[in-house]
Amino acid sequence: MLETGLILRALARNKVGALLIALQIALTMTIMVNAIFMIQDRQQQMQRDSGLDEANTFYLTNTVFAQDYNIQAHLQTDLHTIRNTPGVIDAVQINAIPLSSSGWSMALQHESGEDKDAIGSAIYMVDEHAINSMGLELIAGSNFSQADIELRKDGQSTWPAKTIITKAFAENLYPDDWQSAIGKTVYISQTQPMQIIGVIKALQAPWNGWDGVERSMLVPFQRESKGSYYFIRTEAGRRDELMPIIEKVLAESDKQRIIRRVTTVEDTRLRSYRQHNATNKILSTVIITLTLITGFGIVGLAIFSINRRTKQIGTRRALGATKGQIMRYFMMENFIISAFGNMIGCLGAVALNMWLVHTFSLSPISFELIAFGVVTLFIVGQLAVLYPARKAAMIAPATATRTM
Amino acid sequence: MLVMKNINKIFQTADIQTHALRDFCLQVNEGDFVSVTGPSGSGKTTFLNIAGLLETYSNGEFLLDGEDVGKLNDNGRSRMRNQKIGFIFQGFNLIPDLNLYDNVDVPLRYRGFNGKERKRRIEENLERVGLASRMKHLPSQLSGGQQQRVAIARALATDPRFLLADEPTGNLDSEMAQSVMSLLEDINQQGTTIIMVTHDAQLAQRAKRTIQVKDGRVSELAIVTPHLNQAIA
Repeated sequence: MLETGLILRALARNKVGALLIALQIALTMTIMVNAIFMIQDRQQQMQRDSGLDEANTFYLTNTVFAQDYNIQAHLQTDLHTIRNTPGVIDAVQINAIPLSSSGWSMALQHESGEDKDAIGSAIYMVDEHAINSMGLELIAGSNFSQADIELRKDGQSTWPAKTIITKAFAENLYPDDWQSAIGKTVYISQTQPMQIIGVIKALQAPWNGWDGVERSMLVPFQRESKGSYYFIRTEAGRRDELMPIIEKVLAESDKQRIIRRVTTVEDTRLRSYRQHNATNKILSTVIITLTLITGFGIVGLAIFSINRRTKQIGTRRALGATKGQIMRYFMMENFIISAFGNMIGCLGAVALNMWLVHTFSLSPISFELIAFGVVTLFIVGQLAVLYPARKAAMIAPATATRTM
Repeated sequence: MLVMKNINKIFQTADIQTHALRDFCLQVNEGDFVSVTGPSGSGKTTFLNIAGLLETYSNGEFLLDGEDVGKLNDNGRSRMRNQKIGFIFQGFNLIPDLNLYDNVDVPLRYRGFNGKERKRRIEENLERVGLASRMKHLPSQLSGGQQQRVAIARALATDPRFLLADEPTGNLDSEMAQSVMSLLEDINQQGTTIIMVTHDAQLAQRAKRTIQVKDGRVSELAIVTPHLNQAIA
């Protein structure tokens, strides 16, 4: 027969140790659940689709140092060279790299004029090869044609007449029906009209922590600038082989510029989320450490409690308790302490989450996560008390007649 | 009821072999009140532990209510302790965190009685030892004599076939000792068999039979009642 009532009453009269362990369980629960929640949140961020064919793309910077340099002519030559390299699928000049933390942004609005509501977006200045070069997926409308591409000089403030936007951006602009974006005119720089001619499935902005990271737009510009990126997509499995080849070909073809920072998009992603990964590792360490400390605390309290009650356990055995009943007593005692700790822990976890939601705009914690925390700590508690409980069960009934 | 034939108990350490009981023979019949005396180290506590199934013996034969104790496993011995034996310890061995009601409840829970039956037995036995009005008190709120009465109530609550008392008055002053002894006599009068280990020769004389243990053997029998010849030499 379970001794729940007797255990509860005994705990109530001897509560300091049990209360401290219950509070430790509560604290572990509070921190563990929220830390897991934060880890999950970061992992979800890291798993978001950038829209790019990451496995087969890389980029490099082209920096011109010569004076009287024909940027436009050299740009076309470079792109022609790269695109015609065996193994290269396509290449494009671009002003910024997704997830690189550095880029351009502008806002689009439905109506022309100042003080109109506008929605921010990352801007990628590209030609008609962008979709193919980056591995993007056009899901509505059409791509730019060669005729749409305009030259853009440094400092230029006018914008082309067409744009292609991401689906997430279309959903922000036209919440009722994102597909209705095709053909619509929006305004950039408050007054300059721009027609949406296409929608791509996804393309992330350069900044992973930005809440509008899924909002990007392509504008048909080729930049007449001394510094730019070439974004290159290769056939599957040939990226690493082609990176040094293209770097060498470009460097040797023109000594009036420097080719630098030949980088894969995968490396860029890793760098972009380095902080996330580090934070997750720290949080995981905190969770494991706290759980172990709690487990050891339970072992310690149980061993102390058993040593203090050796004669009492012997007496219980003398009165007819089996070894199993002695084990169940201590496991049930731990279960009750864990239940109390978990109850406080649930409240603590929700309170801490409410603060995190309010302060860092995180989403609320899920019931499943709290349930996971509760079950985990119950299991940890029962495993931790298993050894002391077995030790207690081994106490000889003859201990009852010994003078201690 | 309790028959021990040639029971030996040997404690073996790395270097020394200690013979705590040697060919120990005893028969206790229903309704007996047997006191066991002997000097320190004579083996009387070992006898009590074996009689109470608190420890095993090395060899010999031990029948309790006709059941061969040697054939029982640990769970079987626990069950038999709970069902057939009531213990009264020198230090009372009450659980300090539980009140009197809950202390008496402990063996009843191991027996598996339902709540109603447990309540009846607890109240009846606390009444029997004169402590029904204090059942919500903690052991620390009672005198030594009262604590021993609670221990007696706890021992009686399971309706055991016999009571094993280990120096039941050892921690009590003489007045309380007399009171506890009188209670044991009453219990015996009502039909419960009692085996009591004691140092106190005067109290031992109040039992119906007295046996003396020396060097692990029953060395002497003192005539108190006609049960004398039932000890098996």
